[in-house]
Amino acid sequence: MLMKTVMTTLLFTLATTAGAALRIGEPAPGFTGIDTRGNSHALSDYRGKPVILEWTNHDCPYVRKHYNSGNMQQQQRAATDQGAVWLSIISSAPGKQGHVTPAQADTLTVERNAAPSAVILDENGEIGRLYGAKTTPHMYIIDADGKLAYMGGIDSIASSNPADIEKAIQYVPAALARVMNGEPVASSVTRPYGCSVKY
Amino acid sequence: MRVTTPIEKLLARLSALLFLLFAISGAVLAADSTRTGQVRLSLLAERAAAIPGTTLWLGLRFELIPHWHIYWRNPGDSGEAPRVDWQLPRGWQAGDIQWPTPQRIPVGPLVNYGFEDSVTLLVPIAVPPDQVVGVPVNISADVSWLVCREECIPQDARLQIALPVMQVGNLPILENSFDAVRAQWPVAAPGGAEYRRRDSALTLRIDASGWADAQITSLWFAANDWGRIAPSQPQAWRFDSDVLLLELPTGEAPFADGAMLDGLLVVTESGSGAGLTRGFTISAAPRDTAQVATDDTRVTLILALGLALLGGLLLNLMPCVLPVLSIKVLALVQHAGDQSARHGLVFGAGVLLSLLALAGLLIALRAGGASLGWGFQLQEPWVVIALLYLMLALGLNLSGVFHLGGGLAGVGQTFTEHRGLRGTFATGVLAVIVASPCTAPFMGTALGFALTRPPLETLLVFAALGVGFALPVTLLGIWPRWVGLLPAPGPWMERLRNALAFPLYATAAWLLWVLSQQVGPSGLASALAGSVLLAFGLWWFGQPLRRRGLRNALGGTLILASLALMVAAGHNTPTLSAAPAAETWSRERVSALQQDDRAVLVNFTAAWCITCKVNEQIALSTDAVRQALDENGVAYLRADWTRRDPAITEELRRHGRSGVPLYLLYPAGQGPPEVLPQLLTEGLVLQALSRIDKT
Repeated sequence: MLMKTVMTTLLFTLATTAGAALRIGEPAPGFTGIDTRGNSHALSDYRGKPVILEWTNHDCPYVRKHYNSGNMQQQQRAATDQGAVWLSIISSAPGKQGHVTPAQADTLTVERNAAPSAVILDENGEIGRLYGAKTTPHMYIIDADGKLAYMGGIDSIASSNPADIEKAIQYVPAALARVMNGEPVASSVTRPYGCSVKY
Repeated sequence: MRVTTPIEKLLARLSALLFLLFAISGAVLAADSTRTGQVRLSLLAERAAAIPGTTLWLGLRFELIPHWHIYWRNPGDSGEAPRVDWQLPRGWQAGDIQWPTPQRIPVGPLVNYGFEDSVTLLVPIAVPPDQVVGVPVNISADVSWLVCREECIPQDARLQIALPVMQVGNLPILENSFDAVRAQWPVAAPGGAEYRRRDSALTLRIDASGWADAQITSLWFAANDWGRIAPSQPQAWRFDSDVLLLELPTGEAPFADGAMLDGLLVVTESGSGAGLTRGFTISAAPRDTAQVATDDTRVTLILALGLALLGGLLLNLMPCVLPVLSIKVLALVQHAGDQSARHGLVFGAGVLLSLLALAGLLIALRAGGASLGWGFQLQEPWVVIALLYLMLALGLNLSGVFHLGGGLAGVGQTFTEHRGLRGTFATGVLAVIVASPCTAPFMGTALGFALTRPPLETLLVFAALGVGFALPVTLLGIWPRWVGLLPAPGPWMERLRNALAFPLYATAAWLLWVLSQQVGPSGLASALAGSVLLAFGLWWFGQPLRRRGLRNALGGTLILASLALMVAAGHNTPTLSAAPAAETWSRERVSALQQDDRAVLVNFTAAWCITCKVNEQIALSTDAVRQALDENGVAYLRADWTRRDPAITEELRRHGRSGVPLYLLYPAGQGPPEVLPQLLTEGLVLQALSRIDKT
């Protein structure tokens, strides 16, 4: 009985302190990641430009939906053309689905004709956990002042069917347009859908 | 009501004939299934045909290979719930999927809500009243689902069945398993719920009367919608008497002010044996967030301590206590003199220590799994009789029927002896004993709170009660000048003594009434006879006889006889049954009823078992079940394991169970019982009863 009380109290304290969740409009947590070419990217390096974070796993059917249809690559090009930075992040742990070597990642980029600014390998899941990334894809937009502007899904129809892309609201281009204009994002938090991140 | 014309009857016969023909020719197909590498999916119909104007239940059964899962309506941190697009005949309406209670499936640091092994999703289909009879209809379902182990595979399939449409009253059930599926549906929560939003967490309050005594091994909440709460964060919970409090870290979705929090509370109980899991639907209304958190435990503890102190003070005025303490005060006036301060403190110590001992006993018993509240002492008939005898003896003493020395813990008489302090301590203990059947105002609240709190707080509240209780007499002892305000000793004291006997007789009368509830008329008769013998014995002891041997022998015999009657009365089993509809179970009663050619349904239950209560509410006490019991002449017995009756424990063990609920349905005549599932629905019980009818 005493043990249970102690545990309950402990959990109550934990439960109330652990919820250090991200908030829209507040500074996004800083990180430094290493890309497939060994270059390091700190979030703070990109102050002055919007930054888009894309959690990915090339074997996840939901990721394939957006790459096989060309939707993801098209959004990457549109964003970088506007001067934004697009970081694709792979948080799959070694041995788990989606884990790749730097060379494999580069091959994937070439084969899929993808156009991110860089692909960051986060095999210990540090950046993923810092942002609470749950699914692939899971999208975040950080504005030029380093504040979180959007987090959530790639689009509004949670399915693996490529035919749904056309019917769905593509959240990232819409949010990025607002961010570029310095306006607040209308739906700044949406439900991310997809496979779980393979931490 | 529908009038059945001869033509319709003819049509019904024809359609039955058609069904047979279609079935033979293969045009009717009541089930279809398909297989992927991970899933075997079947589309099933509960009945062999659709009846116009009724609900047709269809089921999508997913059978999964080990370690793979599909998802609940809210998949949790990732994943996707299964979806169905129905192709139905014109005018037919498909309802929502009825989701069974999901499992919490951790995937690394994330948590999903879903189903492993096997799950059946039932969907009600409304068949329009004007549906043409006789022509079979095609129903197809386009099902898409995501199946995951760690990796995920989206899958889809089209399943198709063809059913005849018939105008008949009652169709045989094809799928018996649907009722077992329904038993996995969540049920309504026992009481209302509300939530309060704080910074990064929601506090969910659920009225859960009686749950605090259950042995809950796991309890978690899942919101129906994404983003309300964070599925992977730990949820703390505790009981505040009848209220369950959950601390739920918030999710990512913006939460409109005034929005309801809808979801599912999933509770697993260990007290009932193997560990039963049941889901409860929760719809929590927001509570004004502007209100400061009033459920801060520290505030409540201070409040409880204050109430306990006040309750203790008032306890001095209760009829069972006042006479004893008045005599104590009178004794202080008469004898104590300069020793009075020490006597006052020793009395206080006696009160405090005996109350703490009582609290310790209560804590130990509760830790041992007993479900006890304040007043637990009065649950045992022999304790009630002992208190009755004590009240009677003290009353007779005050009435002047007998006078004894320190024997009865020195109600004032032992001050002149050098063991006086020991007597005073004993008076403190006695005060607590005589106070135990009385509850002062405010005391109930404080003690009710204390019993749901950790042991240290329980002890603190009991200590506060003791301080309040001992305070008046102790203070009078320390400042005896206050006693000086009383009139000088004189004949008034004897009259007061005699008058104070009556509150004690009143307490004795009340205890007799309590006893009558516990042991029935014959037990009561024993206790009354014992009381007379006790009074006679005490009176005899009080006689100034020269021959002490004779006095002690006869007095002792009388008192021993009264004690024997106490034991006899205590052994009487209660004649009042809690539920008038159910008889009390015994193995003999079951055999006797069977021999009388009656079937017997036995409900093994306990007051602290949540699952038992839910089953009784939704399945055993419904009108349809009662009627079926009546019509089939089935006797309904109840075995109450609230106090771990050894005969019931043994019977549970014989059926391989270590706890309740257990439901046994014995056929009439002879034969072993059918064991019903631990999660019941009305349909399951009715089906079981109809089976017994045929044997």
